[in-house]
Amino acid sequence: MTINWAQVLFNSVVTGSFYLIGAVGITLTYGLSNFPNFAHAELITLGAFIGYIVAEQLGLGMPAALIVSFLCTGVVGFLCYRCIFQPLARRGATIIHLMVASIALGFILRHSIGAVWSWEPLYFTSTWRAFDVGPLRVTWLWLGLIFAALSLATAMHFVLVKTKIGKAIRATSSNPELALASGINIDRVIWITWFIAAGLAAVAGIFRGADTQIWPMTGWDAILPIFAVAVLGGIGNFYGAIAAAFIIGLAENIGVVGLTSLGLSTTYRIGIAFLILIITLIVRPQGLAMLFRRA
Amino acid sequence: MDPLLYVFDIVVYIGIFGMLALSLNLEFGFAGLANFGKVAFFLIGAYTYALLSQIGIPFYICLIAGASISAVFGFLVSLPALRLRADYLAIVVLTFGEILRLVVKNEDWIAGGDWGISVSRAISLVGASPRVNALVNIGLVYLCLGICFFVLQLLANSPYGRAIRAIREDEIAAEALGKDRAKYKAQVFMLGSAVAGVAGGLYAQYLQCVLPGMFMPMVTFTVWMMVLLGGPANNKGVLLGAVLVEIFDRGANIAKDYLILPVDPTNLQYILFGVLIILVLFYRPQGLLKESPVTTKALELVRNERNAVKSNGNQ
Repeated sequence: MTINWAQVLFNSVVTGSFYLIGAVGITLTYGLSNFPNFAHAELITLGAFIGYIVAEQLGLGMPAALIVSFLCTGVVGFLCYRCIFQPLARRGATIIHLMVASIALGFILRHSIGAVWSWEPLYFTSTWRAFDVGPLRVTWLWLGLIFAALSLATAMHFVLVKTKIGKAIRATSSNPELALASGINIDRVIWITWFIAAGLAAVAGIFRGADTQIWPMTGWDAILPIFAVAVLGGIGNFYGAIAAAFIIGLAENIGVVGLTSLGLSTTYRIGIAFLILIITLIVRPQGLAMLFRRA
Repeated sequence: MDPLLYVFDIVVYIGIFGMLALSLNLEFGFAGLANFGKVAFFLIGAYTYALLSQIGIPFYICLIAGASISAVFGFLVSLPALRLRADYLAIVVLTFGEILRLVVKNEDWIAGGDWGISVSRAISLVGASPRVNALVNIGLVYLCLGICFFVLQLLANSPYGRAIRAIREDEIAAEALGKDRAKYKAQVFMLGSAVAGVAGGLYAQYLQCVLPGMFMPMVTFTVWMMVLLGGPANNKGVLLGAVLVEIFDRGANIAKDYLILPVDPTNLQYILFGVLIILVLFYRPQGLLKESPVTTKALELVRNERNAVKSNGNQ
């Protein structure tokens, strides 16, 4: 069997783009609120379902689905933080309590989604025409995903570096007390970050749903590699997350080639992210963070 | 179904999950380790038991082997994350549990893959009725639970228990006093995993089968619920938590046969479960029973003397 390495590379970029969109939200909220939000998985799922309603049931098409889903899921993410995590943190909950709360919230969201939409998988009906570019087989969906990830990376870069809110996010992430003393409204910064994080989760969810299927486990199926991306990139580090997303995307796709040639199930691809996670924790627990000092 | 048998079934479940709750209590309650993959060690115990009992090894050796292998895995998995913050350990162990379930699901040669394999009873009496069998199981499970409770209670009140509590409260201060926190944490994690391994073995022989579907992440969070509700760092509290959560679970299971609801009751059960956890974290983060104070022979003597002096003074 000859392996089409160009295709493997292209698939890595597609996978990496998805991980990037999913992981940016996690790494930003993780850095600001200091705990991993496991319910991020369910925000991805929720985004996929809202996107499905808008694009398929209302027939408004993909761009509208992305925008509506971004806004709706963003509001849900904000409410989760405002109504659960913020009061818990105010009551002096430890990081472990916050993690347990986020998992409990995940259960609530996942099964609420299951109750509303049932556990039968849904599929986007619009077919994505595949065509060949040289040795590559591509679809418009994948190109859209890569485009979305690239524009996200560029936009976030400008937001973080040039705008007031971006600077406030970075300041709060690196030193909350000092940020507060400098007159930054920390609460508002955190709220906005949670809104953006959940909105981006929704975008990731729509692309994932369109590529595979939409059911209440859509987000959970993808969350563990996304955590690996956040840890490898360095918690709270946006530039690290970009690099980490594509590293893990590449490793997974090469790993899948390896698994297939060894005759093992490709569901073990999650094991590759796990391996990278373990190696990161042993060798460089701060992640790639120090390579990208600015954020 | 025979109602008495149903009650016996609940009692066995409380025993097995009580052991899991005790082991999580050692890790989370006393040592402050966030084990989000308890189910992984439960699974290792169950599959070890299933595979060894198939080749005719007596059940007590199967249980001990399950505990040992579980402890070894606990050590290996926790190793990269023990020196880091609690959240890293949580992510690593959670992922480990998911991968382990994938492995036993995909690899048919280990134990039948998705369909699982059947496991023989630990103690099979010839011609015994189901009730007698259930009673035998209750005896076995509660014997193991009793041993675990006794050992963990001793441990909690020993100098070792005070050291791990100190590490939980302030790692750097404990380290400054010469306590090697990584060593203590690794030991606690191994012991916790071993107890979970025994519970897994008992579970496999009680249900007489092992399936990947028995080891969903939900199991881990049921155990977390028991510990948080009952009272972290209080062994009696977490057993109370195990009783309450199991009864809540069964109650909801029975209720959904009689109630006609607009939503699917299975979903509702999980939603209620999540709401309950969040309510406990909001209003009773210390659990129903507070952390048990350290009791040792010497402390008891001092307290008695003090009380005696007080009552003399009052006269």
